[in-house]
Amino acid sequence: MRMIRTFAATALLTALAGCADPPRDPAQTTERVRDSGIVRLGVIAGAPPDARADAAVASVARALGARVERREDHTEELLEALELGELDLVYGHFSDASPWATRVHFGDPPGWGRKAGATETAPRFAFRNGENGWIMRLERAGGAQ
Amino acid sequence: MSRQPPEIAKDFRHAIRLEWWTLVWMSTVIAAMWLTMGGSKAMQSALIEDVLSLVPALTFLLAARFENREPTAKFPFGFYRVNSLAFLVSAVALGLVGAFLIYESATTLLAQEHPTLAPVEMFGYQLWSGWPMIAALVYSVVPPVIIGRMKEPVAKRLHDKVLHTDALMQKADWQTGLAGILGITGIYFGYWWADSAAALFIAASVMKDALTNIRIASAELLDGAPRALDRADIAADAQRLHARLSARWPEGEVRLRESGRYIVAAVDGVGPDSAEVPPLETLMGDDDGWRLSRLGLAPRQAAADE
Repeated sequence: MRMIRTFAATALLTALAGCADPPRDPAQTTERVRDSGIVRLGVIAGAPPDARADAAVASVARALGARVERREDHTEELLEALELGELDLVYGHFSDASPWATRVHFGDPPGWGRKAGATETAPRFAFRNGENGWIMRLERAGGAQ
Repeated sequence: MSRQPPEIAKDFRHAIRLEWWTLVWMSTVIAAMWLTMGGSKAMQSALIEDVLSLVPALTFLLAARFENREPTAKFPFGFYRVNSLAFLVSAVALGLVGAFLIYESATTLLAQEHPTLAPVEMFGYQLWSGWPMIAALVYSVVPPVIIGRMKEPVAKRLHDKVLHTDALMQKADWQTGLAGILGITGIYFGYWWADSAAALFIAASVMKDALTNIRIASAELLDGAPRALDRADIAADAQRLHARLSARWPEGEVRLRESGRYIVAAVDGVGPDSAEVPPLETLMGDDDGWRLSRLGLAPRQAAADE
């Protein structure tokens, strides 16, 4: 009986600890950033910079021991590169009403403390779909501000 | 309301209460699932399945209002079979949704779409949205499994196919919940395909329910012999009744059909001296006496036409 209780308690604690860990990325973005030491950031040409977004990406890069490599280009080129896994994230002013909203994931605007409205254009990052752990690191960094 | 046999009145009221409880509890499940739902296909399928699980309950409650109405000039045989009609319509709807879900999850799987589950803010903390989804899925199996178990014996006593199928579907609901949990756990470990695979499994279970329901409903609408509640075989009490009627009128052709929860018997080609018919309950022997609602005797036709 005591063994069962110990086992149950351990299992529960492991599960709770697991809640804090970000999920794994199916395309291994986080691992790649950690191994290569480079965050490949796309920046949409002409998008007004946002200090809170810069701070979020800097803090994630620091935590993974990486530096940020910026590439500036047009929306189409950058988001297509993101979809193909040639970039890790793209900064720009995006709206969920954009036709891109199903092909890539638009995060919450860093530092806003709320979601962007359905048709609101907000300064934020676009991520490759499904890279849940990587998305979560950025969202945590953006939400902590 | 006078047409209902008094023996089943209590169970009938109990069944109506259980179906109302189903609507209430399943609404809380649907609310919990809807509030936590994110980009998971498995969760979406499970939610749709839970919404669909309201249909048998609604069908039963709707039919319960009609079943005991007095026959009218336009419907001289009464409304016993409203249940079957509503059941067929809902089964076909279930099948269409099942087909749509199978298509959706299969194309997602083939297109290798990676499900995105972003974090949500809870109590000032960024939590991965998969965890509240799993919590909602765990909750989602509790009410249906309990209510399903409560319904099953009542359905057996009432010989009610809709209620029985509803109970079985609810008892099997834990499989949907488990599939959804495995799908989301799969996403957590980076297996993007786990989600649509789980969604496909859930869609297949919706389709299986739909096909079972269509088969049960159409058997009755085609004047099939009374079926057992849990199998496609002829019901045991109907077989015994058939034997009793055949023994009593050996020269006649005995045919039984099902009308809602009742059995309707027809014996064709009896001799002219067969006018005396015992009370219907006694023909049922030790089985539920109220089951036989009508017995029609037709005399042998004169062979003079030829």
